[in-house]
Amino acid sequence: MSTVIHDSATLTKRSLRHIRRSPDTIVTTAITPIAMMLLFVYVLGGAIRTGDHNGTGAYATYVLPGILLMTIASGVAYTAYRMFMDVSTGIIERFQSMPIARSAFLWSHVVTSVVANVVSLVLVVLVALVIGFRSGAGIFAWIGVAGIVLLFTLSLTWLALVPGLTATSADGVSGFSYPLIFLPFVSSAFVPTATMPGPVRWFAEHQPVTPVVNTIRGLWAQTSVGNDWWIALLWCLGLLVVSYVAVMRAYRRRVS
Amino acid sequence: MSTLTLTDPRDLSRHVSLRHTFSQILSMAGRSLIKMRRNPEQLFDVVFQPILFTLMFAYVFGGAISGSTHRYLPLIIPGILAQTVLTACMATGTQLREDMDKGVFDRFKSLPISRLAPLAGPMVADLVRYTIAVTLTILMGLVMGYRPHGGVGGVVGAGLLLIFAGWSLAWAFTWLGTIAKSARAVQGYSMMVMFPLTFLSNAYVPTTSMPTWLQDFVKVNPVSHIVSAARDLMNQGAVTAEVGWALVGCVAVIAIFAPLSLVSYRRKI
Repeated sequence: MSTVIHDSATLTKRSLRHIRRSPDTIVTTAITPIAMMLLFVYVLGGAIRTGDHNGTGAYATYVLPGILLMTIASGVAYTAYRMFMDVSTGIIERFQSMPIARSAFLWSHVVTSVVANVVSLVLVVLVALVIGFRSGAGIFAWIGVAGIVLLFTLSLTWLALVPGLTATSADGVSGFSYPLIFLPFVSSAFVPTATMPGPVRWFAEHQPVTPVVNTIRGLWAQTSVGNDWWIALLWCLGLLVVSYVAVMRAYRRRVS
Repeated sequence: MSTLTLTDPRDLSRHVSLRHTFSQILSMAGRSLIKMRRNPEQLFDVVFQPILFTLMFAYVFGGAISGSTHRYLPLIIPGILAQTVLTACMATGTQLREDMDKGVFDRFKSLPISRLAPLAGPMVADLVRYTIAVTLTILMGLVMGYRPHGGVGGVVGAGLLLIFAGWSLAWAFTWLGTIAKSARAVQGYSMMVMFPLTFLSNAYVPTTSMPTWLQDFVKVNPVSHIVSAARDLMNQGAVTAEVGWALVGCVAVIAIFAPLSLVSYRRKI
């Protein structure tokens, strides 16, 4: 166990060094969601009726949970790409010939992804604060938000490793992230699901992004999150387990 | 035994008649259409984008913006029409630059054809792309329940105006294609110009719902004038001042960028 942790830490340093040498990846990851947030808050926000939210600052608070999930989605696209580059350049074969724990290679990518995403998320929250995001939530609510966001990041990271290991081209890798970035649009992230027509509303209310968004929003607004928190938890854990199994299968096939 | 006589290249007439120029432009347009047919992904921006945007904005945001999807359609359909056509014309510059980088234009230079033909041909072919975009978006709107009060005349008028707007703006991207270093650079510059122009406009929401400082920009944004003109034609069948301003803007863009494109293109080849 200690070997796995030690090897993972060593390989994580390698991956983080890659990011430190090209910090534009983090900036690029954060720029798209920030641009989206500015667009929605300033251009569309005034026209969107969200019930109890009116005005730029209030809509910034309303929209931020969805923007955070979009940030994670665009961040894990880079994780998939980094994994694909490692696989296609044959670095796995090199590591195989060394006395390294096999799973360390995967964990290094996972930890790097989480670290890079946390940096991007902090950048997004800082911009949100500048444009009017406010929350009177206490420390425990913020810990809850951090927990659900980290769990969601972890789930999507493991999911991103699947195309990273199995894709045959760079285009194939980048293509996987489009549905992830698109999902928040058809959810409660930008508008209340009650304003959507029947079938769209049904889809929006039964997909993973909505309960996660509602949980974060509820925690920040200090209101009851109802069933949303455990539905969000189930989605994240379910996705994590399924992705983990799929990654392990793909990885075994790759290294055997 | 027949003897082969080589004509001195200097004896060949440099002048190409107007009739031949038109014929050559159409040949080049045909070449571009064949390229489109062979690479259907070139049509992604005019086929999938309008369908995706119309569905998403109408069904997801329509209720929250206008109270219902149906009431949002008269606002959003002309907006998406304008946005689709104006972003579709960015591809003109990118494809031109790709052709120039591949050396195709060096071949054209050696042919006894009008210098204008390789430049104007793709522009004519692009009219097909804009027409596809306009037709699909209008059909999508009709399927979703949009009933334009401007009638057939208003809809056709708005469609023609937008096709003309796209074609005129394509000259700006053509110029960009002749001066940029690579196709990727053209794409980057084009996005930098078009993203703010299309999104910071009245295409999706009424200007009055925006912050005051943003309203000032939106009101002078040429895209807003084109969207308003299309709305007036489609929803009222009225040829308002906005239509006039939109046409003046289009003519101004052509007057500036068509000569610039030709000059920089001649310099390049």
